[in-house]
Amino acid sequence: MFLRNKIVSKLHNFMILPAFILFFIFFIYPLIKGIGLSLTDYDGMTKANFIGLKNFVDFFHDSRAKNDVINTVLFALGSAPLLNIFGFLYALLLDSKFKGKSIARTIIYLPAVVSPLIMGYIWYFILQPQRGFLFSTLARLGLDLTNFNWLGNRYMALWVIIVVNVWQFVGMTMVVYLAGLQSIPEEMHEAGKIDGATYWQRIRYIVLPMMIQPIKINVTTNIIGSLSVFEIIMALTDGGPGYSTESLSIYIMRMCYGSSTGYSTAVAIILFLIILLPVLISLKLMKSKEYDV
Amino acid sequence: MKKIISILLVIMTISLFTGCSTKEKDEAVDKTTVEEKNSTEDTDEAKPAAKDEVVHIKLFTGKVETVDLMNEIIDEFNGLHPNIVVEQEFQKDASNVIKVKFASDDVPDITTVVTQEYIDQGKYIDLSNEKWWDRIQPAIKDMCTDVKSGKQYRVASNMTMAGLFYNKAIFDELGIDEARTWKDFEGDLAKIKESKADVVPLFMAGKDSWTLGHLIEFVAHGVIKQTYGVTESKKAFLANDDSKLQFGAEGGPMDSFASVILSGKDKKLFNDDFLTATYDNQVEMFANGEAAIISQGMWALSNIIEKNPDMAEKIGFMPYPAITDSTEPVILSAEDSAYAITAATKHQKEAKEFLDYLFESKNLKKYSESIKSPCAFKDVDADWGPIKEQVNNALSNGVNIGFTNECPSGFSGDDAGRMVQELYAGQYKATIDFAKAYKEVWDKAWNASN
Repeated sequence: MFLRNKIVSKLHNFMILPAFILFFIFFIYPLIKGIGLSLTDYDGMTKANFIGLKNFVDFFHDSRAKNDVINTVLFALGSAPLLNIFGFLYALLLDSKFKGKSIARTIIYLPAVVSPLIMGYIWYFILQPQRGFLFSTLARLGLDLTNFNWLGNRYMALWVIIVVNVWQFVGMTMVVYLAGLQSIPEEMHEAGKIDGATYWQRIRYIVLPMMIQPIKINVTTNIIGSLSVFEIIMALTDGGPGYSTESLSIYIMRMCYGSSTGYSTAVAIILFLIILLPVLISLKLMKSKEYDV
Repeated sequence: MKKIISILLVIMTISLFTGCSTKEKDEAVDKTTVEEKNSTEDTDEAKPAAKDEVVHIKLFTGKVETVDLMNEIIDEFNGLHPNIVVEQEFQKDASNVIKVKFASDDVPDITTVVTQEYIDQGKYIDLSNEKWWDRIQPAIKDMCTDVKSGKQYRVASNMTMAGLFYNKAIFDELGIDEARTWKDFEGDLAKIKESKADVVPLFMAGKDSWTLGHLIEFVAHGVIKQTYGVTESKKAFLANDDSKLQFGAEGGPMDSFASVILSGKDKKLFNDDFLTATYDNQVEMFANGEAAIISQGMWALSNIIEKNPDMAEKIGFMPYPAITDSTEPVILSAEDSAYAITAATKHQKEAKEFLDYLFESKNLKKYSESIKSPCAFKDVDADWGPIKEQVNNALSNGVNIGFTNECPSGFSGDDAGRMVQELYAGQYKATIDFAKAYKEVWDKAWNASN
């Protein structure tokens, strides 16, 4: 009887079981399997041979991989801060009272619900220099900019992708900030006003310190999302011209299909570490500034 | 309440596992039956299925142009063979998807995806002794022959050609003849540019890197293929014989190729959106008469005519002009729609039975006329297209070359096309830098797979 009561009283602990099983099947097992594969010369077909850390060493001598790391980091350095800055500014704007606020929120958020691949193709059809909607419309208005071949320029193409990415996902970042802003008690703002603080002083000394949690969520998710960018590049430039916009995720896919499964798995693990590092640093930095309401 | 919910959740979890294990058990029983069934079958030549057993054959293809027609042929075949059910699976990215299929043991019985790598790995059965070969053009049989083993692991139903499609009306109007050297060709392009402001002289679809990869394959590798012939050049590619390939050499195939591309760019003989235009744009521009010339294969013909039926009378077809002094114009004349039976199939007999049906004259005629491509079988007289005469002329005016199926597996046609994108985007200071970079990438991929 005592044992039965003890088991029943502990039964709720088993509620974690389904989540744990799913976590194991879809994360832990592939991770362990991936680490194993990364130490082999597996080509996806024939028997895998253990080659130790050769794939990881090869990565550091792979000029295309270096190029892709640079592209990926540049994309993240461009995307993540812009997403956060514009997301926060939009949230501030849409937290204020004005007519049509709901419509404005919907319009800004709407692109985020569409697949990045589809959004990439839409922007491709807009930005194509000769026959795209934007330039052909401008040409009809007498402004011929068809020589601005942004997507075909190896220096410009990455920045165009960053802008499209920010445009698409700024709504998602905004929603998180908006939720944070709306959780700040009105009394805090009132107190600030009574003390004579200006709008920007209230943002600086009241709002920002209380927004650490939403900032943490947005910074983390934007870093992860930007460093693992894939679909939007595939649709807009297919990684081109040449490899000038190819990200590490695309490289992993292409290596895997190019009969270098073991190597592509090693690169995937390196990408995992590349993502993990800034996430941990940013979380650590923000932890020291945490403030509870 | 909390306890009740906890108990329910645990019961659910346990029942989930029980369900899985039951299913596993069921599957295990099924698997055993299949394995037992297979173990009784001959491994080399599968025995016919039991009288009432229905055999399922999967045909895997990446040829979008033939999907509907094949479904029609398959339906007819299935109707005539109650014990065999052929199913077609189309994948746009078939050459990559099949790798996943091979890796996951989801191997189709028949496939149109055949590469040297898989032949070397024994993924297909030897079709050398099949009766079809007596009916097939000897040149096509040669192209279907594996250089390493001398055997045929695939059989092609058709031939395909690639070269330059041109607008005959524009050529006639400007008095332009088919050029034999690239220098003359540039002169013709310049003439079109001067006379027809709203027409692109040579329209390239650079966003789809495969179209640029084809340029390397036909124009640059064409120099090697015509210099050494089909078999010797195949051997040179397979052995990475630098004395013949000369990829990194000054004045070699890659250096000469880079020169003509950059020269065309400097003289603005291509479309301004060279790097962002797609294959669809290319077909559309040519069909609408807005592009005077495009580099494509016969596979584009049906799309062009579909977009503008009036174009059928205006399409000319010519070989690629020679890019070096010592060579001749080249035209791709290769096997197309090649079918192979996988070694993993348990239904070889039924798979061959389907190919027998597919290769019946009436089906091949239908096939050839549908994809507008000449039939590889000698006994089939198909009216396959409006440019039959032009193609015959091109074949007699240029050196016929085949596809380079002997590229290292880590360096695909797409990768080669990306290098052309880099060249056009100004990544290489000199044409020789492009040639050296090409050699470097080729060597790296070759070393990785040898």
